[in-house]
Order: sequence, then structure tokens, then C-alpha cells
Amino acid sequence: MALYSFWIFDRHCNCIFDREWTLKTNPSSGTTNSKLNEDTAKLLYGMVFSLRSISQKLGSKGSFNEIRTIATGKYRAHILCTASGLWFILLSDLGQEDLSQVLRYLYSEIYVKTVVYNWLSPVDFADSPNERRGQGFRKIRNRQFLLAVEKFLGPMVN
Amino acid sequence: MDASQRPEMTEHQKQQLQFQLFQDSLPKVNEIVYRMLLNEAIPMAVNVQDRLSEESGGHEDNETEQGLEQDLDAKLTFDPLKDHVPSHKLLQKYLTADEEYQNKVDERLNNIGFLLGQKLSQLLIFSNNPSLNFRDMDLLAVMKFVCRDVWRQLFGKQIDNLKTNHRGTFYLLDNNYKPVESFALDEDMSQEEQTLIEPYLEIPCGVIRGVLDSLGFQEKGQVICTASITSDRESQKTGSSASSRAVLFNVQINPDR
Amino acid sequence: MSASMSGNTASSSSSKKSLKAFSDDIWKNKTAKINAELFTLTYGSIVSQLCTDYERDFAKVNKQLYSMGYNIGVRLIEDFLARTALPRCDSLAKTSEVISKCAFKIFLNVTPQIGNWSSNKDSFSIFLDENPLSEFVELPMDAARELWYSNILCGVLKGALEMVQMDCDVYFASDVLKGDQTTELRVKLNKILKDEIPAGED
Repeated sequence: MALYSFWIFDRHCNCIFDREWTLKTNPSSGTTNSKLNEDTAKLLYGMVFSLRSISQKLGSKGSFNEIRTIATGKYRAHILCTASGLWFILLSDLGQEDLSQVLRYLYSEIYVKTVVYNWLSPVDFADSPNERRGQGFRKIRNRQFLLAVEKFLGPMVN
Repeated sequence: MDASQRPEMTEHQKQQLQFQLFQDSLPKVNEIVYRMLLNEAIPMAVNVQDRLSEESGGHEDNETEQGLEQDLDAKLTFDPLKDHVPSHKLLQKYLTADEEYQNKVDERLNNIGFLLGQKLSQLLIFSNNPSLNFRDMDLLAVMKFVCRDVWRQLFGKQIDNLKTNHRGTFYLLDNNYKPVESFALDEDMSQEEQTLIEPYLEIPCGVIRGVLDSLGFQEKGQVICTASITSDRESQKTGSSASSRAVLFNVQINPDR
Repeated sequence: MSASMSGNTASSSSSKKSLKAFSDDIWKNKTAKINAELFTLTYGSIVSQLCTDYERDFAKVNKQLYSMGYNIGVRLIEDFLARTALPRCDSLAKTSEVISKCAFKIFLNVTPQIGNWSSNKDSFSIFLDENPLSEFVELPMDAARELWYSNILCGVLKGALEMVQMDCDVYFASDVLKGDQTTELRVKLNKILKDEIPAGED
């Protein structure tokens, strides 16, 4: 099994965390803030956004038809969208059928415990209205979050 | 199981068991709402400080622009979130504030703890805890009460280590101070982190003062309690997670004058 | 998962039972608990300090408690969603049910009654027969007139609902601490907020 990358988008369409294990240039940093990653984030967001809207329109009115995975020829994207508008996305090889439990763990055991319970950290990463709608740049950088993500996902990378 | 089949259980143990059953039967709430309430008390205390200093600053305008102020008041009742500031930003204000400002915030929190401590010891005394016998309690026994019963109520654990010089000075070590266990800033900001955690030690300091006050140590300045984060090696060895922080509470009790 | 299933069948009568059973299970088996009285005393000490700080200007105390609640609400909602995995509600009726049977149950272990719906169904009341914030509390005369003792709850609900895109007014209509017959919390939905879309996409 192989995990390629992990992404979190917030309710303002901003990428507030990205961790790419396939990039060899900056292996130890959890916050590779390269131009490349920014572009990838926008593309990934766009793909999930479009397919998610379509799948919701295809569902009958009043019931939820939330998108969970998207497979391409090269990878599979696993998606968890919370009612509060957070998206947790894992990219893996095609062999991974279901990572929904892993995503739930990332949300409830890692994000909630190291960001939400962490009073020193914001829970809204857009500092002003002009950092909303995908124009934000702030990321989750707190020590405990980075550590927990690495400890949990690290062993699944290869 | 019949009680007679357990002769090894002493009267005291039976009482303890009964007390535990009684504790379990009391109404409960989710621990997280209590923790969040305690955690938000610190930014709240900062916010109060801001609002009070704004008021005293704008005092002269009050009379000349009363009409405007009433207007403003009317708006306040419509929008209770006017001038709202998120928790982490209030804490950032504390971080950059001067010492006088910080002291005022600390004092406010210490007072909250004091009020809580006074009520809490009454609660613990009236709950018939068999390990409590206040009639012939010496100072050490009182401090043991703080370490065991008070701490267990507040944080679900006991103080890990109690030391004393037998002349009124006590050191209470909590190897994993719960309220701040999730707190962390970016990797290179450990100094700021430390400063921001300090006001989070004020409420328990106040609680200790309040408990001692309700047990008869009521003279002004009789009890002095301070706390600091320690880089205690022991706590890291004994398997607590890397994120746990040890806090040392220093309690000084002067004899009655 | 059972959580998302109960959210999917919003209007069927069986889901009402399952939402209760679902919340009971979370409360009983997956929740760390503390003595309610400790919680009451802690809140009481905070309110009491605020009354001193604002020199018994209770309008200011109310406001402070509300904004304190808001900051808690925007965090508590994530804890709630992580515990329950519930999706967004498709009606305000469903929201009211989740608030009383699920949120109040899981966090405060009480299940307040919902009622007093407005004719156009955009507002309702939460009747707190039991209120863990104010158990055994009595207010002095001056405070009883102006202080909304449990106002923090309004802020919590305001913040939590806003995070699931519901812009609501939340306020107390009455409180037994003021000598009223009931403790009534009013929730009025102003609008459902639109999810943001990236700039330049509209």
C-alpha cells in the first residue's frame, strides 16, 4: 500500500494543510509550501468541488449523496467532508479501496485534539474577508498536529 | 457478592467503596464542556481587560456624546457579537501586552479560582468523603486533601508528588497538567508558548488559595501560591506523552499572626 | 455507519428513536464525564467575577458571556461532528431535534423540550427544565432583573450553528432564575449561508 499525499481544505476553500510524501526535495517538512503544491491544491480542490456538486445534484432531494472516493488511472482520492465544511483528502495508490476510517481518525483524533482543543491555534484560518474564497495562505503549523500526522500516516506511506 | 465473603475488606475500604459509588451516582456532564469553559476563561479575562481599559480611556466623551452612546447601546443589544475577537487572538494580545496588563488578567483568573476553591471545598466536605476528618487535621493533611481530593475533582487525577520543608512551604508537582495538554504553537515558538500557558496556571493557584481560605487560613497574605512550568525529566521518563507538561505549584503558608 | 444513516432518514418516525438511542450510546459509552456540580460551580465563579469586573452592569456581563460562548461554540461543533458524524440537517425541525436530543444530551446530559414554533417555521424555543449551568443558583435582586445568567448557551449555539451555515439569532426569552415559569431559549433562523466558492468561479 502506498499513500501519496494528505490535504485539508477549510470552509473558505483554502488549503490549510498539505503533506506530500512523493516529493523528494523536502522530505521532513510537513508544510512544503512550494508553488507546485499550491497549484496542485487548487486543481485537487476543483476536481473534488465539481464532482461533489454533480453527485449531490444526482442524489434525490433531501438525501445526502456525499462523494467518498475518486479513482483515476494513477491514484485514488479518498474524501471526508464534514458538516462544518472541512475536507480531508488522502491520495493513495489504486489498491486502497477504503480509507474512510483513516480519514475519520485524522479528523476526530488528530484535527479535533490538536487544533480544536488547542486554544493557541485558530479554528478559522482566514484572518480577514479577503483571505476567504480560496485566497487564504495560512496553514496549520502547530507542533502537535504535525507530529501526530507524521506518526499516524508515516507508516502507511510505503 | 456477600460482604462477609470478603473479610479482607477493612471498614475504611468499605467506606471508600461506598463513597465511590455515591460519587458515580451524582449528575454528570461531558468533561469536554468543562474543559472548554476553563480554557475559554483565559481569553475571556483578556477581553474583559480590553473592554475595561477602553471604557476608562473614553471616559471624557461619555457625557458630551450621550446620544451617540445610547445609539451604540441599542446596536449592542441587536448584535451581541459586535467587536467579537476569537480566542487565539485574545491570547495573542496577552502575549504582546505589558506586564501590568498581564498581571491584571492573571489576578482576574486567580480570583475566579479563589471563588471556585471556596465552593469546591464545601462540596467535598459535605459529600461525606471518608478520607476527610477536619477536626484533627494538620497542615500536611490539608495539603494532602488538596493534592488528592481537590485535584481529582478538578482534573480527574491526583498531584503526582508533594514535598514540604515542614515549615509551611509545599511543592506540588503535576506531571501532566491537563488543561494545556493540547496546546502548541509553531515549532520555533516555544518561548511564546510558555508565556501563553502561564495565565492557564492562575485558576488552580486561586483554587488552592480558596480551599485553604475555607479551611481557616483566611488572613490576608497568609497563603501565597505560585506556579511554573518545569522541564521535569522524570515526567518524560515515566511514559507520559511528549506533549505533556509538568507544572510545579509552590504553596507557602504563614502561621497565624 | 449508524450515525450517517440516522441523518439520512430525517423524517421517518423510527429515526427519532434511533437518534435518542444513538445519543444515549455516545453519552454512556464514549464520553468522559465530570461531576455536574463542579461544572456549575466553575461557571458560577466566572459569572460572579464578571459581575464584579463590570461593576454589576449586567448588560455588559450578558454580552461577555455571549461572546465567550461563541468562541466555545465554533470549537464545540467540531467535537460534536467528530463524535456523531452527522451530516447537515435538511430542515430546521431536524436541527431542533439534533440540538435537543443529541447535542444537549451528549454535552450536558439533559434533553430539553422543543416547542413554540413560529407559524412560518423559522423559529422555535428550547425549554430547559433542567439547566446544569444554574442548578442551585439564586440571583440577588439587581441581577435577577437584568442578568441572563446562562447567556453563554446562546453564544455556544450561535457559534456552532454558524459553522454549519445557519445564521441564527439565539436569545433567552425567560429564565426561572428571574422568577419566570420556564427557562426558554429562542432560536430564530435568519438564513442558510451559502457555501463559499473560490474567487472567480461565479
